[in-house]
Amino acid sequence: MSEVFFRTKDLSTINIMNEQDILNKILDHFGNKVTGNVKREKRVELFATTNTIEDVLLYAKHQLSFIHFTQLSCVDWIEEKQFELVYIIWSPESKVTILIKVRVDRENPVAPNIDYIWRHANTFERELREMYGVQFEGLVGAQDFILEDWIEIPPMRRDFDTAEYAKKTFFDRPGRENARDVRETIRQNSGEEIPEFAKKYSR
Amino acid sequence: MVNDKESQKIVDIIQNFARQSSLFVLAYGTGCGAIEIPPTMTSRYDAERFGIRGAATPRQADVLLITGYLATKSLKRVIRAYEQMQNPKYIIGFGSCTINGGMYWDSYNTINRLDMYIPVDVYINGCMPRPEAVIAGFAKLQKLIQAGKADGWDRYQKNLEFYRGNQKKIIHNWVMPDYNW
Repeated sequence: MSEVFFRTKDLSTINIMNEQDILNKILDHFGNKVTGNVKREKRVELFATTNTIEDVLLYAKHQLSFIHFTQLSCVDWIEEKQFELVYIIWSPESKVTILIKVRVDRENPVAPNIDYIWRHANTFERELREMYGVQFEGLVGAQDFILEDWIEIPPMRRDFDTAEYAKKTFFDRPGRENARDVRETIRQNSGEEIPEFAKKYSR
Repeated sequence: MVNDKESQKIVDIIQNFARQSSLFVLAYGTGCGAIEIPPTMTSRYDAERFGIRGAATPRQADVLLITGYLATKSLKRVIRAYEQMQNPKYIIGFGSCTINGGMYWDSYNTINRLDMYIPVDVYINGCMPRPEAVIAGFAKLQKLIQAGKADGWDRYQKNLEFYRGNQKKIIHNWVMPDYNW
């Protein structure tokens, strides 16, 4: 992270680049540390590691005008015992979206904290910490984000069974175990007639 | 006040009439159903002609409308608001989420049956109920009040252990004040 990263370019002098130009620039700059391809029009896919992700984001932000951090999301690859963090950034000039994918170990998921590059990345990181258990190094923020008093494993992991948990924790109301049509029963109990136009929607 | 049964009956009738004619609803929208409250209150349906109007704080309110799904996090706030309300107080469960969970029946963070946590006087079915249904639910509540059958606040005090047990089952870190009525 040299000082050149923190100097934003004068936006008026940049030529509008296409997807291949952007990909070539990034690949030239990082050599074999980063791989990638053009997925389709306006969509570039990059594969980085936890060591290089900060440099890639800083380079894209300050040299290639990808100033908008759209989202940080996570994919649970339970078969490969990995989480995939997807950093999505966008440039208002070239209107290209870059997806930067980083794999972390599922047993000990640790990724670098990037909220000094974009402040609002802090929110996404706190969400992933709560929903997937991914730890970000040096992340400052309240431990509880959406859930309160959560004692189970993080709920968005694929090995967490929500239906079973809901059955165990909350109370089911008896009488609607399946999706059968109950309008006839309701009609008998209440004495109300089913209107003519509604009868054709019967299952 | 004369303290025999017959005159108490007359007092009750007058009291219940006064209670059912001015229902102040706590302005606390919990779920997506709160979007049906503005059309109910404004000129098209004009719920104020039945004496239904909003109240700013729990202590001024008579009715707590649970409009839709309740996350366990907002259940905490609902319990707190409900316990601050003055007796007599009523709860209307609004939408299918409060009845059996609705479309969130298998969610990890929303409750399924509201009446296991706080006493519900009237349920309004639907997803979402239209303002006509809301007003019908209020009319039903008014009938129950007039008949003296809307006794959710009484049930809550008498079965406090049952409700507290269910509440503490999902709210592990219990930091709320314990009221003694």
